[in-house]
Amino acid sequence: MSEVSLDNVTKRFDSTVAVDGISIDIDDGEVMGIVGPSGCGKTTALRLVAGFETATEGTIRYDREDVTHVPPENRNVGLVFQSYALFNNMSVLRNVTFGPKMHGVGKDERRRRARELLELLDIEELADRNPKTLSGGQQQRVGLARALAIEPHILLLDEPMTGLDAKLKQTLRQELGELLDELDVTTLYVTHDQEQAMSMCDRIAVMNDGHLEQIGTPAEIYEQPANEFVAGFIGTANLLEATVQDGTVSLGFAEMAAPQNAGPNGTATVMIRPDDIRIGPDSTDAEVVAEVEVTNLFYQGETIQATGRLPDGRTLTLSLDRSLTDVGTGDSIPIGLDPAAVHVIESG
Amino acid sequence: MADRFESGGLSARFGRPFVTLVLGLTLLFLAFPVVMTFVSSFGSDWFGVLPTGFVTFDNWRDVIFGTGVGADVAVGSSLAYSTGLALGGVVINLIVGVPIAYAVARYDFWGRNWVNVFAILPLAPGIILGIAFLRTYPDLSTSGIALVIGYSLLKAPYMVMAVQSSFQSMDLQQIEESARSLGASWPRTFLTVIVPNARTGIVAGSIISWTLAAAEFNFSYIVYSRGTPPLAIFLFNNITNASFLNAAAAVSVFFLLIALVTITLQIIGNRGAVRRV
Repeated sequence: MSEVSLDNVTKRFDSTVAVDGISIDIDDGEVMGIVGPSGCGKTTALRLVAGFETATEGTIRYDREDVTHVPPENRNVGLVFQSYALFNNMSVLRNVTFGPKMHGVGKDERRRRARELLELLDIEELADRNPKTLSGGQQQRVGLARALAIEPHILLLDEPMTGLDAKLKQTLRQELGELLDELDVTTLYVTHDQEQAMSMCDRIAVMNDGHLEQIGTPAEIYEQPANEFVAGFIGTANLLEATVQDGTVSLGFAEMAAPQNAGPNGTATVMIRPDDIRIGPDSTDAEVVAEVEVTNLFYQGETIQATGRLPDGRTLTLSLDRSLTDVGTGDSIPIGLDPAAVHVIESG
Repeated sequence: MADRFESGGLSARFGRPFVTLVLGLTLLFLAFPVVMTFVSSFGSDWFGVLPTGFVTFDNWRDVIFGTGVGADVAVGSSLAYSTGLALGGVVINLIVGVPIAYAVARYDFWGRNWVNVFAILPLAPGIILGIAFLRTYPDLSTSGIALVIGYSLLKAPYMVMAVQSSFQSMDLQQIEESARSLGASWPRTFLTVIVPNARTGIVAGSIISWTLAAAEFNFSYIVYSRGTPPLAIFLFNNITNASFLNAAAAVSVFFLLIALVTITLQIIGNRGAVRRV
């Protein structure tokens, strides 16, 4: 396992800039996520790390060694694709021993290593099967075993859960998370699914339009998004125009003490997460209490997502506790806000 | 509406029997000449509506041992010669066609569509290619090399199409990149992962282009001058020179060959389908 770093890396395809000067340092054993919408450059970033694309500018290093121009077969990276790309002309065991064989590992040793990995992933009974005959979840494990068999510098996962059904995705997410923890393998996990990234990664890099918007732990990204894009992309966010004046932030319907990072006086954009808005009996203890009219209700199982209209016509997304069954569309309900729930994300 | 179902509309009452009848007639129309040829090859005379004098193996003996006046050569030697020539054509097609099919399926390069069109369109008919070949390389007309090259040029589209469809059914880029990330060089990836994964298409393409090459008449007729005749010429000589029933036996050899190839293709196809489950 290694430290991997991207230092000011840019990748241009003709006139298109796919990756624009990104710098990411992945610590030894860390699981780093890259999230962003389709076309944001996250897959290109992964391909740059793997060596399938060469950076137009910047440097990629494994353990401080410059590998920017090293071809993929000499980089020793474990790659798991969305389609798993298993070799259907070989049995599961031969798929897993393929990498070590290419690295010149002897037959007995590579078989021992493969058996060990198959056992670790709980698929030792599939060793002689053809990958075509396996389920999606089993194929994913074979793909992982194959990638890990070469003891890679870094494990690269490119949307490995896309295409699986929701229930299986949830199970595999947990299993994969535990496995990565156990193996302590440096991992780059690329996904458009921010929920997966939040639950599996130690840190997350949010990309948009080739740029790196923010890098931080899931909690940092969720609670202190760097800008409107990150706030909107990660989780659900209410973004409101506000005014900051002498230590007070005015939301139009409420005024409260401004947080420390509020910036200079003037207009600002603040973010309030729906789950930070207190609703029902609990709301009356909050520092600021306001009334909203419920215009929409979406039952989501664990919670109910609602849209509330403020007296000035702006709307807020709310997260209602399931116990609030008597709330209906058109009702006015009190909401409570504490200063800690309000984050100034852009000012001026 | 319920009434219509109860009484049975015109289509409900006659639709299925009508389609069955049409299918039956079509099958008869297609199969009758083949069956009659095969059956008559075991007859000794054919003067009236149907052949008579069953069952005799004289016609088959003439064809198999070359004892008749037809081709004046045993079918075995022609078949063996054509097998070799067509196999040569298939080998060339494999060496040229598989990389072309791969490049077109895998990469997006300038002129890709044109390469594809040239690779899969049978541009020159056999007769034209044959004449052009003779005029350009008259010295090669007496050797099998001309036939091998001609067969490979004429039948390349079938190989490219079969292999290309195999390549298109898999995620070539991800398979290739997986292998390379595991430490395999590009040539090794191509030979040990990509090509074996397209095995079904390669086998199917080889069988189709081999069969069609073995049966290629136009090019063979123009280019062939002396020595053991290719199978197509052998059949032609039998049809034109030998007795009617002798020719039937010779043609039946070809029918059997086609049946054998079709059955083999079916088996390969089914094996692929079972594996996909």
